[in-house]
Amino acid sequence: MTAVVLDGIVLGLQFGLLGVGMTLVYGLGGVLNLAYGQAAVLAAMVVAITLGDGAPALVATAAGLLAAAAGGVVIDRTLLRPVYRLRGEHRVLLGLLLTLGVAFVVDGLLLWRYPTGALRLAIGGEAVPILGVRMRVGSLWASGISLAVGAVLWLFFRATTLGRAVRSAIQDEVGARLIGINPAAVRTFIFALSGALAGLVAVTRSMTSPVSVTAGFDFTILALIVAVVGGLGSVAGAFLAGVLLGIISTVSAFYIGQYITTIVLLAAAALTIVMRPRGLLGRQV
Amino acid sequence: MTAEPDAPVDADAAPLGVSARPPRSLARAYWPVAATGALLALVPLWLGEERLMMRLAVDALVFGLYAVGFNVIFGSTNQLFLCVGALAGLGGYAAVILTEEAALPMAAGLVLATALATAVGGLLSWVAVRRSLGVIFTGIVTLTFSLSFANLLLGQRELTGGETGLVVSAGAGFLEDRIAAYYLFLGMLVVFLAVFRALQRSHVGWAFRALRDNELAAELAGVDVARYRVYAGLIGSAMLGITGAVYAHSNEFISPSTFAFGHVDVRVLVMLAFGGLGTLLGPVVGTVVFAVLDEILVDTGQLRTVLYGLLIIVLFLGFKRGVVPAVTDFLHLLARRARSRVGRPS
Amino acid sequence: MLEVSSLSAGYQGKNVVEDIHVEVGAGEAVAIIGSNGAGKTTLFRALCGMLPVSAGQVRFDGANITGRPTHRVARAGLAYVPAERHLFPGMSVRENLVLGAYPGRPDPAAFELVLDLFPRLQERRRQPAGSLSGGEQQMLAVGRALMSRPRLLVLDEPTTGLAPKLATAAYQALHSLKEKGVTLLVAEQQVPLALSLADRGYVLENGRIRLGGASEDLARNPEVRRAYLGVA
Repeated sequence: MTAVVLDGIVLGLQFGLLGVGMTLVYGLGGVLNLAYGQAAVLAAMVVAITLGDGAPALVATAAGLLAAAAGGVVIDRTLLRPVYRLRGEHRVLLGLLLTLGVAFVVDGLLLWRYPTGALRLAIGGEAVPILGVRMRVGSLWASGISLAVGAVLWLFFRATTLGRAVRSAIQDEVGARLIGINPAAVRTFIFALSGALAGLVAVTRSMTSPVSVTAGFDFTILALIVAVVGGLGSVAGAFLAGVLLGIISTVSAFYIGQYITTIVLLAAAALTIVMRPRGLLGRQV
Repeated sequence: MTAEPDAPVDADAAPLGVSARPPRSLARAYWPVAATGALLALVPLWLGEERLMMRLAVDALVFGLYAVGFNVIFGSTNQLFLCVGALAGLGGYAAVILTEEAALPMAAGLVLATALATAVGGLLSWVAVRRSLGVIFTGIVTLTFSLSFANLLLGQRELTGGETGLVVSAGAGFLEDRIAAYYLFLGMLVVFLAVFRALQRSHVGWAFRALRDNELAAELAGVDVARYRVYAGLIGSAMLGITGAVYAHSNEFISPSTFAFGHVDVRVLVMLAFGGLGTLLGPVVGTVVFAVLDEILVDTGQLRTVLYGLLIIVLFLGFKRGVVPAVTDFLHLLARRARSRVGRPS
Repeated sequence: MLEVSSLSAGYQGKNVVEDIHVEVGAGEAVAIIGSNGAGKTTLFRALCGMLPVSAGQVRFDGANITGRPTHRVARAGLAYVPAERHLFPGMSVRENLVLGAYPGRPDPAAFELVLDLFPRLQERRRQPAGSLSGGEQQMLAVGRALMSRPRLLVLDEPTTGLAPKLATAAYQALHSLKEKGVTLLVAEQQVPLALSLADRGYVLENGRIRLGGASEDLARNPEVRRAYLGVA
């Protein structure tokens, strides 16, 4: 049981980061980015290719994250401009449909060029015993990176001027303008951050299991579930929901079965929307 | 330069779809339905010899039927049901399992399967209305239903055959003939379109339009918005369920991919956006155009996905109302010009 | 310091305010009085780039700021406190104040000034802004605006939703700000309060400036007395 829960936490930390990227973009841009998972896959493919070219892992990872971040910026600055002129549901709906289109384009192009592409970062070494459970080194690296990035994000949002500016723009965009914040610039930054987070999760995932070129949609759905359960727009909520859902997912996979697990996660999102649409932590940012 | 290039402004109230008023006279209201039926009835005369082409034509018609069902739910009452494939699949799998496993007569299986899909769709609609979920949350909840259903199909191997699907052996003999199947689905399309038009013209349709235009105003005018939403959910789901059920019986086999979200829902959404959401003939135009497009793009492989994506982007960015409303407007303009020319004293 | 000349602005091509001339000199307190719907908020929104300007000019510190985006107007030193306040409800009082100094670091002297003026904010510094009472939120909104050490503080109906006692207290705070040399432009329906604070005033009616002059003259003007001071 301990092993299952520990695995759940490893998975959940990554779910959390994935959800944060989704929830930030929604909180700031009012867009549910359905091309989010494609950013992850794009990063994974760039890492795989640069690794194949003989680049060191760190450089390859940096290139991957940069590519995903750039993708986010491009979408924000070009395609989504008309979306930002709309309000309310029209805005979310148009954003949803346009990013769905982007998802198809990216998926199609990647599958066309790299039909069997996959990223697997094998990290060698002896399994390490933790709480009496032998944990693989890849899992430890993945968790360590996720935890560290989570902590850095937390500090960034609490203690830096830019981080506070992001939170303020999510909470009250007019208020943010009034104190001299340019919400459009903050939003572009968040799209870049979101893309990089998706890319990072793809990289940490690949330390325990391969990330294939077809994984985009699954990443998106997972991020959507986590963001919804945590409360759309809530960073802390997404992280909490991620860890929770990670544990639920490994426990249910262990005791019930893999396909039921997906349904359990989906049901968690549906139930959250029906019972408590604000999510676990509401709109605390 | 305007003050804030990025500041949200109250742009056109409804970026998607229109809510055109149907004509009053019976003949003018139904002739497009009859004309559609008559025109499409000619297709087998042209393609009848080619079995493969007829097969594609049947598939196209089935998508047309899905699109009408979705149009009733989303086009009329703005409930974003991202479970078109799942509801059709529910009908399809239920119909096959009921006749093959439970050995029911085919008709009974069809009725029960349709009832099941109707009930599930109605339930989703009821929950969405009860909890006032709005477009996006309705979309997410129905999407989770779609994906759960797909996983259930894969997981419940003994009942559904998992990934490989089910072989449909008890299929009604005449449906194996593609031409017969074509006319059966065409008949259904005519009936669905007639139902859609009748809905538009009825008191319910008036309420639908009112609540599409302005929900609050509709509510104030005494329209029971909630109830009409659920009605639309029930009727549309029934259409999806029966289409899925009949389609399953007309096929040699069904599998999860037959009804997959990426296969059915996305395509229906694009077809309808192209044709014109909420319009009578939007689904028909979408069906025909995409059938032809598929035939042209048949050898492009993955690039077809890319083209689909680009099409979605272009459609929703630049062409929000769809072909049918644009053409209708143009015809109205021509008619008005002609009238004014006649009316002008020489 | 602020010169508004021949300004017209409104919504969807329809002007709500027309041909507005308003001037505010450094160190002055100026009131814009008018009833509900006279166009005070529209005027202020146009000043700080929240609404497109259809004609005329806004000059601030000699620079033409007509139609500049809101955040650039704010950075130029014009701090606008709208009647709806637009605080950041999920952040603490302290964080709201710190953000007021964006993009710089908060200036200790500005902190001191704000906490001196509104000691309540010191008590509540750890509470989320959303949990404050109406009066406290108004204090925080003014305090947040002051954190940027603005050259001009523009307040729209600072007494909105406040009980009479609190409204008076709010104006006492504004009085002491004025004594400290902060330039003020205030829109107000509660005309006696506004005229007691302001050196000069303008009367806005149906989107146009009807009268302008020193506060004492306005207070003596029979029309103003009848319409706004409840004197027959």
